Amino acid sequence: MNTATEPAPATMLAPPPGDDAAWAARVAAREPQALREMIARHGAALHRVAYRMTGDAHEAEDIVQEAMLRLWDNAPAIAAKHPVGSQAAARLRLGGWLQRVATNLAIDRLRRARRLSGGEVPEEEDGAPLADAVIEAGERDNLARSLVLGLPERQRAAIVLTYYEELPNAEAAEAMDMNIKAFESLLHRARTALRQALTAQGDAP
Amino acid sequence: MSVNEQANRGTGPIAPGSPLARVLDGYGAPDLPAGFAERVLAAAEARPAPLPDLRRPVRSRRWRIGQRIAIGVASFGALASAAAATGLLEQLAIPVPSANKVWASLTGSAPAAAAPEPVVAAPAPAPTSAAVVIDGPIDTPEELQETFRRVDQVRAGRREERRAIIDQRIKSEIERRRAAGLPVPAPEEEARLRARIEQAVTAREQRADAAAAARREAMQRKVENGEALTREDMTGRKPVSPEARERFRGLRDLPPGERAKAWRELSPEERRALADELRARRAARLPQPPAPEPADVPAQDTPPPSE
Repeated sequence: MNTATEPAPATMLAPPPGDDAAWAARVAAREPQALREMIARHGAALHRVAYRMTGDAHEAEDIVQEAMLRLWDNAPAIAAKHPVGSQAAARLRLGGWLQRVATNLAIDRLRRARRLSGGEVPEEEDGAPLADAVIEAGERDNLARSLVLGLPERQRAAIVLTYYEELPNAEAAEAMDMNIKAFESLLHRARTALRQALTAQGDAP
Repeated sequence: MSVNEQANRGTGPIAPGSPLARVLDGYGAPDLPAGFAERVLAAAEARPAPLPDLRRPVRSRRWRIGQRIAIGVASFGALASAAAATGLLEQLAIPVPSANKVWASLTGSAPAAAAPEPVVAAPAPAPTSAAVVIDGPIDTPEELQETFRRVDQVRAGRREERRAIIDQRIKSEIERRRAAGLPVPAPEEEARLRARIEQAVTAREQRADAAAAARREAMQRKVENGEALTREDMTGRKPVSPEARERFRGLRDLPPGERAKAWRELSPEERRALADELRARRAARLPQPPAPEPADVPAQDTPPPSE
């Protein structure tokens, strides 16, 4: 859920139909102003997602920058597939595309960091170790941060996209390249893990 | 609290205002720093141009899978055709219908193919009018000579029958190759092949004649000494036990490769007995010649034609 200072994601990520195709065409034409507009429209949301996924502001900035540069690189192909005025253009959502890129980048970086550190993040929730991790993280940061960062990366992405960014399940599933059933199962596990972690902290969920 | 509410409390969405929601709301995110857009634009300007598209278009997953299935089916069909054309399937006892048969089954018209010539066993010559009556065990020189005569008669018929079978097999193989579109031997090659086979058959018969002559000599000595001949003296082998007979039946049901292996593992006596049984079955399948005139010899006294 967003703070009061943050704009509502639903309004921010809802451009007029076909508008994104025009912006993609302008980015494909290498107009810096178009890319600047894309950053203004989507950068903040991508940054929130990346930050809540990684817990690191610098890492989150790198992820947003990489996502925007990928848009810059892929804009010609996107514009070619969605010519302005076509039916495909009406379906194009650059916000969703950027969310998918940013989420995947964040998951990739978390996995790479885990491999380098040699640590193991359990895919299934585990009460006792998770409680320990929560307590340690809580000492470093606040409780919410430690709860979210204690989740496996895909569960974390599911919570960030649906709870904090308030995306519908279908859009969040699309952002994670999953089908809706698998995503709902993942979200269910993420919520259960969060509640168990909070219970382990001594609060009722 | 309803059951649904209790269920949602554990697994459903995180309700706004709930303790968990209050905790999660504390995880705020910082804003993007000022100048972020300029930094990204500078990086974009400095970024090398993207690589050109691949010349080969990227096909969809469904199309790729379909392509692989088509290649697999085509490869299997080519291998199967090659196996059928080279006669490999027939060696593995897999029947391969010829194109004529397939066409006939499709159109419903029976092919006017000439039926293979049946093998007719050479009719046994009628017994002589002055036939010796064999009564009981063979213990006189006359009975022995009569036995030898009958044995020679059966052996002659069997040799003719064997030659007819060889001839029929050669003809059917040539016919099969012709129907499959395979090269068939020229008349000169066929003549050479038949000569080689005839040579092998003659050599076998000569070996059998030599063995029979030696055994007849021993039998004659025994009869001259006044001893009666037994079945073992006549055949030179022991009678087949019921267990061995059962093994032969099992052997008959084996596939060709395993049957050959099991055949090699049999003892010489068992092999001989099995060959006799197979010969009897084959003779039973052949068209019977006209029945000879009734002989005045009891059936049980007739020596087995297996010398």
